[in-house]
Amino acid sequence: MHAYIDIGVHAFPEGADTLKRLNLVAYGLGFSQIVVTAHSPHWSQFPDSSLPLGVEIVAATVRDLRKKIAFFRDITTIVSVHGGDERINRAACKDDRVDILMHPERGKYNGINQVTAKFAEKSEVALGMSLDYFWKTEELERSRLLAFQRRNVALCRKFGVPIIITSDAYSHFDLRTPRQLKALAGLLLLTDWEAEIALSKAPLSIMKRKGQKEETIL
Amino acid sequence: MKPLSPTLRDNYRYIAFRLSFEEPIRARDLQTEIARTAKSLFGDVGVSKLNIRVVAFDGSKGLVRCNFRHVPELQMTLASISKIKNKRICVTAIGTSGTIKAAIEKYLQIEEKIRRNISSYVTMPVSGKAVRICGKEIDIIPEDRKTVDRADVNFIGITIDDNERLI
Repeated sequence: MHAYIDIGVHAFPEGADTLKRLNLVAYGLGFSQIVVTAHSPHWSQFPDSSLPLGVEIVAATVRDLRKKIAFFRDITTIVSVHGGDERINRAACKDDRVDILMHPERGKYNGINQVTAKFAEKSEVALGMSLDYFWKTEELERSRLLAFQRRNVALCRKFGVPIIITSDAYSHFDLRTPRQLKALAGLLLLTDWEAEIALSKAPLSIMKRKGQKEETIL
Repeated sequence: MKPLSPTLRDNYRYIAFRLSFEEPIRARDLQTEIARTAKSLFGDVGVSKLNIRVVAFDGSKGLVRCNFRHVPELQMTLASISKIKNKRICVTAIGTSGTIKAAIEKYLQIEEKIRRNISSYVTMPVSGKAVRICGKEIDIIPEDRKTVDRADVNFIGITIDDNERLI
């Protein structure tokens, strides 16, 4: 059995549950680990003793994004970028200091094209698919996001971009079992095996890669 | 009416589930919400193939039945449920079985954690009123509602390890 990892969880004071509570619930659901990634505007609210392992950078411009990547790269394990804007998505995919581009489809269109996908493959940036819209949105919005994510999955498959599945949870009510997430991934036309990798091997390899980079620098 | 012979009957799969909730809910409301979510995800034709029905529900765990070819669809439906009557819930599928007896024996004979109401003012990690304790889990109604509004819930969730004074 694989060790499942949820890599995009938001804990208190950004989310509603403390890390210990989320860990307790996630362990009961079958995850071996959860990784808290705080949105960059909430980073300063975390006490120094319990800083999150990762950050999700929210940037308005490309220049702002680069500044924030340079700042957070040395103090966090995982650097992900809050996607949505096409310029931000492309800049994130070009930058090899970024580990994950989260939900690029949350803009007007699906957020990436073949050029962005090629950049992502070259810079080893994974694409984060948050499935929270299944339980947070309804009807038209849900079908729109589903269509965008399907298109992104097809692009990732063609250009070999790693995919990561996450629940993007703000409380324990947003956490789902790996089996449920795999079932939902079936709607994105991911096979069972691909979903399994997106929940276990892909997040693990990102965390290992960061460790190797640090060793090389030392 | 004469009953169908066993070979002509539909084959079902039974999914055992556990429910996390803010406020207790009734079986009828759960059945309605499952049907509504399934219809929203798969449409009328899809729902007619699924043949979903809540077989048993005791308030915190239960069994739901579907056609044996459509178990993943039922998993998706259960995963997509988040609210009943504007109160947050989470339906967690525990396991799948071919008979009610096996499902109960395998998945539902677990000891229930006792949920009790408390009333205690806390300041760590957030100032507010601790109202519920269930095993190691404690729910707090915070004074500042900004965080709970962002997460669309009513309580801040902590554990006993976060605030040992509450033991």
